[in-house]
This record gives sequence, structure tokens and C-alpha cells, in this order.
Amino acid sequence: MSAELKNISEIRRHFHRNEDPIYFISATNFNLLGLDEWCKNFKYICYIDCYGGKHPNTFVPSEQPHAEFQSIEDINNYLLQHKEVIDLIKRRGGKPKFVFLMFDEETERLSKELGADVWFPKAKLRQKMDNKIETVRIGNKAGVPSVPNTLSVVESYDNLKEICDKAGLGHDLVLQSAFGDSGHTTFFIKSEADFRRHEHDIVGEGEIKIMKRIDCRGSAIEGCATKEGTIVGPLMTELVGFKELTPYRGGWCGNEILSTAFPPKVRQKARELTFKFGEQLRKEGYRGYFELDFLIDKKTGDIWLGELNPRITGCSSMTNHAAFAHADAPLFLFHLLEFSKKKFSLDVDELNSRWADPKMIDSWSQMVIKHTDDTVDIATEVPETGIYRMKEDGSIDFNRFDYHRRAVESENEAFFLRILQPGDYRYEGADIGILVTRGRSMTNGFKLNERGKRWIHGIKNGVHGRPLPTAEAGPALADPAFKIM
Amino acid sequence: MQLNWRAISEDDPGPKWAGLFREYWPDYHRWWAREGAEARPGFLDSHKALRAHMPEMLPLYDQLVELAGGSDQAARFLSFYCPPPYLSSCSQAIWPGAEPVLVRNYDYSPKAFDSLTLRTKWQGRAVMGTSDGLWGLVDGINDAGLAVSLTFGGRRVVGDGFGVPLILRYVLQTCETAAEAGRALARIPTHMSYNVTVVDAKRQFLTALMAPDRKAVITHQAVATNHQERVEWASHARFTATVERERYLLQRMTLHVEPEEKFINAFLRPPLYSSRFDQGFGTLYTAVYRPQRLQMEMRWPRARWPLDLHDFREDTRVIYTPEGVSSAAE
Repeated sequence: MSAELKNISEIRRHFHRNEDPIYFISATNFNLLGLDEWCKNFKYICYIDCYGGKHPNTFVPSEQPHAEFQSIEDINNYLLQHKEVIDLIKRRGGKPKFVFLMFDEETERLSKELGADVWFPKAKLRQKMDNKIETVRIGNKAGVPSVPNTLSVVESYDNLKEICDKAGLGHDLVLQSAFGDSGHTTFFIKSEADFRRHEHDIVGEGEIKIMKRIDCRGSAIEGCATKEGTIVGPLMTELVGFKELTPYRGGWCGNEILSTAFPPKVRQKARELTFKFGEQLRKEGYRGYFELDFLIDKKTGDIWLGELNPRITGCSSMTNHAAFAHADAPLFLFHLLEFSKKKFSLDVDELNSRWADPKMIDSWSQMVIKHTDDTVDIATEVPETGIYRMKEDGSIDFNRFDYHRRAVESENEAFFLRILQPGDYRYEGADIGILVTRGRSMTNGFKLNERGKRWIHGIKNGVHGRPLPTAEAGPALADPAFKIM
Repeated sequence: MQLNWRAISEDDPGPKWAGLFREYWPDYHRWWAREGAEARPGFLDSHKALRAHMPEMLPLYDQLVELAGGSDQAARFLSFYCPPPYLSSCSQAIWPGAEPVLVRNYDYSPKAFDSLTLRTKWQGRAVMGTSDGLWGLVDGINDAGLAVSLTFGGRRVVGDGFGVPLILRYVLQTCETAAEAGRALARIPTHMSYNVTVVDAKRQFLTALMAPDRKAVITHQAVATNHQERVEWASHARFTATVERERYLLQRMTLHVEPEEKFINAFLRPPLYSSRFDQGFGTLYTAVYRPQRLQMEMRWPRARWPLDLHDFREDTRVIYTPEGVSSAAE
């Protein structure tokens, strides 16, 4: 049992024969899609059933009255207190292991109540690392430079300009509050009007990271800090702020993975920096899965650290489905390995250099489709999860149900994961679903390509809603003769 | 249901106010004494509380009690000290455009509402706003350009303190800037939890999260619905969709550079506009305050009514709220 795992083959075998019940608990299972096929006894416990009950390893308890969810942590804490979830975990027995996208100290407490181990560093440590200001500090220590920035409390727009003048950042700025993701707490500020829109998120919010705005491409890369060293995944492009996909300016809306997304030099540099960052994370006491955003200057190719997510993320599914992941093992499997306390030895350098080989990367893209119109209604029809096919004329058809994204055969097919359920509110910013295609969805100039646009249009065309009833108050009649109450 | 709205102006407490008191008192009295008059603090404690926390208001209070006929129960009611608990809903936000504009929806039962816009110049300070409890306000503006509005804070705790409409009146009678208002709101005890948003003519703003059982939190929030930092009363939160409304408003503010008119109109449709009139949480009106112009405007889906602090015209409107319109959530 305690025999050391000496190579990838033994590691894979170990997980194929795994007896520990491992659960990914989250709103949907999207982030760790397919992991259940690498690891025996791996189950998903979700709030939203994207598969209409047809996914064999996904358990969705019946909806119970619950407090309003204000975060993914709230959803997880609701799930962990749900009787059907507790029954499932107890019934399956063993010492349960939990992994999450997001969790807090309450999640840790509930996990302990259930006798489960959380296979992630402590929430407190993650919280600390997730702070943008802390990220800069760790990066500096690791020799991973951040975009020219300064950290300061901001009181007003005039005050912000003074701070920037002193720091030599100019007045075309990107501000980030300490926490946040997907563009919700990233503010592009060039004028007083821009400032006013975000004032409530800036003033009184403590230290803010103030960056010079650079002309750059967003990229994402994932790594896993293990005792044998940091394993580094491929560098992915980011789809950012496309108005067809997201109403959030600068908001993340997908990724592409392809071997030539960036020049070889940039790719190599990003891998090195990620390795260095991972090694620094280990020194700080963090281990396991993490993601870095790098900003790559369009002109100079300079590479800057944007953000650290000490967790799995929205692009984890890309990393864990790339060709190299099928050839060796998905990156997340090494996270499980690290936390399993199983002895292993691994030549991380050898693995990293293999994963750096362009041959190890096939081309995929994922688009997170949100409702982008400024309207509110109730969804009545939403395309269901499965494989869709694009016809000659650009229209799309549901072809078959499937929950494997690799079942997508060609560039004329796509896997759609439905998130918006019939009966849900459809409002600006609501997630409709995630579309995964083979090949690219952007042009070389990082614009949405025609095919990408057609797919989005096709899916959105399949979403229908009924309007909310509106009340009529009025009319305005002057009528002096009345008696009150 | 038919609501007969009135806009009434009277510089100093006088016959108009006394007439309003006589008209509303029987209903307010019933409400105030519904748990028995002995459940409410006595006159001495009520007067003492006012003297301790709002001494500037005492001469005005004495005058109004006199006009109200001077009875013990009327005086205790008018002190707003520890009134019976009441719930409302509401949404409010400050438009992020060039000029300060405060927009708010008042969501409450049409059966328990005064339908009265009052303009006064008590103690030399011109104030207009939506009246509640005869001298309290649920939103309003004064001649310094300070505008203020309340939403229910979504917590069930009831404690020793004042009914929030009087706290708003106090702020408008005694403060000129958001900073001054913030200090007053942090200091005065409230008997239930409320979120009070203030904005001044220089566009300084804040939202005070007030509660009877903990220190007020002064935030830089530009949006308030019916919860404070966390949702604490889940069923009320769900029923009033407070989280969704807050998210919706924050989204509007940060996603769009939105013209004023479009921003205001968002309050007149779902999810901000509530049609749960029969359940006590219908949107009775949308109020728009423009601190630099000293103007307010009342709006309904099919009507609008502009009012000017320095050119205030007494007038009436008949507004029909829809009845039995079920909510979209059902």
C-alpha cells in the first residue's frame, strides 16, 4: 500500500484503483469535467444539474429552501448541510475527501463535521494568497515581475491622479481591489466619469492595486506545486470582454489552447516564470493547483504577472483535456496525488519539458456564453447539454447527448454545457452555458472569428424566455375631491 | 387600489399640519397602540430620549405636540421612540453620472401609506420629501442640497431607538453635507435595521447600515436594498429578492455609462419594480432627487410629478396601484 509510485504509469494505475471517495463539490462540475474517468470513486456534487440527470457521476440533491447565495462558498456550504448529500456521503462510506472551486472557513468546519478532509491548503492561507496585493509581493520574491503599479488607499479621483503622478504611472489606469475575479473588481479608469462608475468599489475599500494600463494580450497558465517541484501546464490565450459573450468590459469569457498561441520565446518564458512562482508558493506554505494570468505586451512581448488564483479556475477544464493530459495525466491528478499522502517520485523537469513540446498540444477553445442584453425575463427554453453540429448554412442542430467534451469530432461540432435552466431568470450577465469547440474561436488578431460568432449566435438563438409581468400604476389625474384612508 | 396623493406645503407648523394630524391620527393611533399603549415607552422616557439624542428637535416637537392636541399618547407617538416594528422593502442607488442624482423605489403596502409629499420650512430650513408618521420622512431633500433615503435593512432585531423616519427628518433639519449626515446617523439609536443613503450637492455620498444591536457601519455603498453586509433574514431576503436587486443595480452602474433617464427608468420595471402590492411589498413610487437643483420627482409607470423645493406647488394626483398582480417568481 505504501509502496512508492515511481512513474506516470504507476500514478495512473494508483488512481484507477483508488478506493478513497473523492468529491468535487461546486455549483456545476464544469471545472473538473472528465476527472471522474481518471480517478475511481470520484464523484461530483452539484447545485445545478447541467445534464438533466444523465451524468452517471454527478449528484444533484433536490432543491431545499436556503439562504440567498451570495457566493460559490455559500452554495457549497448549503450542499454540505443538505441531508441528501450527507446521506450519499455516509452511504458510500470510507474517509471522504473534498475538493472545491471556492471554500471558506465555514466549509472547512462543515467538512470536519462530516469527517472529511479538504484536499486544498487552508482557506485562510488561500484567502491571503488570493489578495492581489499579496500576489505582487510573492511575485517580486520569486522574480516574477508585475505590471508597473503602486498600492494605495484611494480617496477621490484627484487623489488617485496625485498618487499616479508620484508613481509615474500616467492617468490611463487599471485598478484592482484586493479580491475578485472575472473583471468584477478590475476597473479601467481614464477619466473622472470612469472613476464615478466604480467609486463605490474603490473608496473605503482599503489598499487598491493601481496599474499603468498597457496594451497587452491576456493569457492563462496553470501549475501544480508538488513536493517534487512545480508542474506547469500549457499557456492559453484568454477571451476577454467580447460583447457577444459578456457584458463585463475586460471580463474573462473563455480560453483557447493551441501550440502556437504565442511565440516560442514567450511560451518558454511564461513556463519558467510559472515554475518560479510555484516554487515560491511552496516556500509560502501553499501547495497544489494554481493559476496565473500573464499580461503579454503586444509590441515588446514583455511578460507581466497579472493575477494569481490559488485554486482551480474556469480554464482548468482546458488544461485537463489537452492532448498532453491524455498522454500523461491531467494536471489535477497531480494535485490529488500531492494531497493523497501517497509516496511518489517524479522527474518534474522531464515532465515539464515534455509538456512544453508543441506536439503535446492540440487545439481547443471554450466560450462562456452570458446573456448580454439589458433585459430580464424567465428562460423557457435553453439548448440542452450535448454535441451540436453546424450545418453548411451556419445554423446549428442538436446532434446527440454526451457529457464528454472530447466526443467533439471535428470543427463542425461543439460540446455545449447548459448552465441556465428553464425557469431561471435570464438577466444581463447570467450564464447561459459553456461551448467547447475544436480549433480556434479567435483570429490571429485576437478577435472573435466568424465560426465563433456563428456558434454563439446559434446557441443564443435557442434560448427563449417569457417576459415578466409589468404593473401599471397611474394615470396622472388631478382630482381634488377625495377623502384619504 | 386607488391612492390619492397630495403635495402640501406649510412653512411653519400650523393649521395645515394640525389638519393632517387629525386626519391620520386614528389610523396611526390604532397601529401604535396595537400591542397596548403600555407596550410603548411613556412620555417621560420618550421626551428624555429626544432630549438626549436630538435636542435640536425639541422646540419643534413641543410645537407639534401642542398642535396635535397635547394628549399623552399623541406625544408618545410623535416622539417616534420605540414604535411598533414595521417592515418595508425598497431599493435605492446613486446615479454615477456627472450630476448627483439619488433614485429610490419605495416598496410597501398601499394600505399603510400616507401618500403625502410634504414641504416645510420648520426652524428656517426648507425640507421636502415623502412623509411618514406626520413629521417623519422616508426620503427627502433640504435647501442645502442634502438628499436622503432609507431602505429596510432586512433584520428582525428590534431594540431601543427611534423610528427611522424621524432620524431622516433630523438629518435634513440639522445637516448640510453627507459627512455631517454620516456622523448623525452613526450616533442616533434606531429601533430596527435600516440602510440610509445620503448624497450632497458636491456628490459626496455614503450609506449608513444602522441597527439597534450593533454600531452603525458607514460605507461608501452607492446602492442599498434590503440586507446589510450579509443576508441575515433569509425568507425576507428571498421574498423581496434583495440580493438580485442589489446585483442588478450594481451591474447597471458599473457596466453602462447610462444616461440619467435610462437609469431612472430601470426602477420602473422588474426586477426593481415590485408588483406584490397585495403582499405589502409593491412599489408605491419611484422618487428622484437632484441635490444640485433642489428638485425631486415622483414617478410611476404611467405618471410623473416634478416638485421644486423653492417653487413648490400644492397639488394632488390619483394613482391606481394594480391589485392581485402575481409576482414573476411564482
